[in-house]
Amino acid sequence: MRDTRIRRIVLDTGIAAAVVVAMGVARGVYSNELMLFNFIIFLTLAQGLNIIYGFTGYLPFGYVGFYGAGAYGFALVVMHLHAPAMIGMVAAGVAALVLAVILLPLLRLSGAYFAIASMAAAQAVYEIVANPDLEDITKGPYGVSLADVFAPAFSYYTALAILAATLLLVVWLRNSRFGMSLQAIRDDSISAAMAGVSVVRGRTIAWLLSALIAGLVGGVFAWHISVFYPDTAFDLSVSIFATVFLLFGGATTLCGPLLGVFILYGIYNVIGIAVPQYFQFTYGALIVLLVLFLPNGLVSLLTSRGIRVP
Amino acid sequence: MRSKALLLGLLCAVAAQTARAQPPAPVEIKIGALYASSGPYASISMPVAAGFRLWVDQTNANGGAEVKAFGKKIPIKLIAYDDQSSTATAATLYNQLITQDHVDLLIADSGSVLTSVGVPIAKEHKQFLFDVSGTGAAFFTDDNPYVALMADPVSTIWPHYISDFLADEGAKAGIKTVAILFSTNDFTGTQAAALKGFFEKDGKVKIVYYQGVPTTTSNYTVLINNIAALNPDAVLELGYVGNDIAFLRNLQDSGNQFRFVFSIYAGVEKEEIEKNVGVSALTHIYTYVPPSNYEYVPEVGMTQKEFHAAWDKKYPPGSKVTFGANAVYGYMTGLVVERALATAKSLDQMDIHDAVFALSGKLKTLDGTFVLRKDGAQIGEVTPLGQLQPEGKDDLTLVAVYPPDMANGKAVIGK
Repeated sequence: MRDTRIRRIVLDTGIAAAVVVAMGVARGVYSNELMLFNFIIFLTLAQGLNIIYGFTGYLPFGYVGFYGAGAYGFALVVMHLHAPAMIGMVAAGVAALVLAVILLPLLRLSGAYFAIASMAAAQAVYEIVANPDLEDITKGPYGVSLADVFAPAFSYYTALAILAATLLLVVWLRNSRFGMSLQAIRDDSISAAMAGVSVVRGRTIAWLLSALIAGLVGGVFAWHISVFYPDTAFDLSVSIFATVFLLFGGATTLCGPLLGVFILYGIYNVIGIAVPQYFQFTYGALIVLLVLFLPNGLVSLLTSRGIRVP
Repeated sequence: MRSKALLLGLLCAVAAQTARAQPPAPVEIKIGALYASSGPYASISMPVAAGFRLWVDQTNANGGAEVKAFGKKIPIKLIAYDDQSSTATAATLYNQLITQDHVDLLIADSGSVLTSVGVPIAKEHKQFLFDVSGTGAAFFTDDNPYVALMADPVSTIWPHYISDFLADEGAKAGIKTVAILFSTNDFTGTQAAALKGFFEKDGKVKIVYYQGVPTTTSNYTVLINNIAALNPDAVLELGYVGNDIAFLRNLQDSGNQFRFVFSIYAGVEKEEIEKNVGVSALTHIYTYVPPSNYEYVPEVGMTQKEFHAAWDKKYPPGSKVTFGANAVYGYMTGLVVERALATAKSLDQMDIHDAVFALSGKLKTLDGTFVLRKDGAQIGEVTPLGQLQPEGKDDLTLVAVYPPDMANGKAVIGK
């Protein structure tokens, strides 16, 4: 039993390491660095969403709120305190955590109500940041420029480190008692509570971890891109993409979100560049087919046959 | 014998050196560009892309662009991607053009938002960015030689004639108060702030209303009533095409009338706005007079009339793109590219930079005089103040009313 668990952990960690190494090596092979960077961003966001949705069943449509909070946490510290980028990254994480704590009461909702409330919260944060009256602080709707800390290579490898940490976190959740307890809460919170699982504590930790990941990703995005507007940092399509990638691959697994991002974001880039006029049709058709025939994602092709997917 | 061998050796060495210094001429000059076929910026991006494509097709029909570096005409290959008005997609595509397609020249998408992500990427890759109409002041800094604004002036220059007119002829006609309603984006927000500064400095016209609204605003009814409650003499609405259409429609529907109403795109994209709001809603509206409605005398390229005819031939009425200032901006950018290729020592990006900056003050096109500030900001190609005045029963003409040396008609200020 113990050997099986160790084998699983080694396999999961090996997959995580392979992805991180591949993304690191890719930078030396393929020169469109920003495309690779976007892959890392979505690989990490999809896993961050996996932690809150896959393990607890809460699907926050407003996940981009934490991402935007992280981007602006980074930007504010760099702009006003002239802090180095690494301090900005700390601020990005803190900003997302503060927002997550403020939004903790949302966990009292569930299902569609939670999803919509989280989206409204993200929109509210966007409206505050983009308020022209706060131009002196956030630059309002006119966007920020962080040319002083622009460092594409350093920020790329920082993003890679965040991805590595996130993947390891998911590996741990998949193989730890805490991760099991979260899944028990997701499946039946009352039974889990009666079995001694602290439901509130479990959900809160998952929520904060998920928010922290999105905040750090938002921070490293701000660092890498260096010029952005509130519309970019709080773009709802970030949430939608991360959600679709996660659901396409299959939640609660390590490989599902990875597959979702590599396949769908890969197609997005190929079609988006070569024949953009067919992009929405192709993407829409893929999603319709998925919902009709594979509602639990690609990994369900194997899991439905009793095969464990890392 | 020895001296002959020495001479031959020297000749060979010189020939080899020459061969090294002069790379073979490419089969084509690759120009990379972005456009937005959908989303909020499509209305300004598509005419720019169409105008630029018109220049490419014309140039290729004449055998290509004259490239001084190779002493011959070389055909242009345009590689254009659709960013769908998304900055994230635009950023990836700018990278794609530079790192994968290895374009010789890089053209930004239209407007400040979609240009913004291209500026640091172009700087990072040391690729000169032909910024068509991204007027954001933050793009132009002394430490970045890899960007220059082509076709319209930086946002702070645009509204100068509005404040000058109101302080001069407006004050004489009794205009004392003004309301400024603007969309909160780089282009219009900067103009609003500049206007506020001009009015406060002049002290002749008092601002009684100064309000920014999101660029996504599509209903101005409440805002117009709020303004009407303050009874200003002049109302200046600064927005993108969609904002101006909504504002002008709502203004007509509300029945409120002001002595002086200004809208940017009423003139800048006259055909598009007229199609959407009708002639009566536009009558006597003040606006900028864009190069698509003003006859500058060009020394390079087509005149405004010739360009309009060429445009109508290539994009007949009913096409998705309409003629307007942005069409001229696209074509004008092509003219700068043409002159830069004709004078640059090589296709090295700093040589392209030098060639573009050498055109400053000398290049006169249908868009006016191309003048660059040291940091790449455009300070020529000014926009006179105009007014849409009735012409016949169902038509409007855009008359330049200020400054006096550019005016071709007289302003009609409401009672």
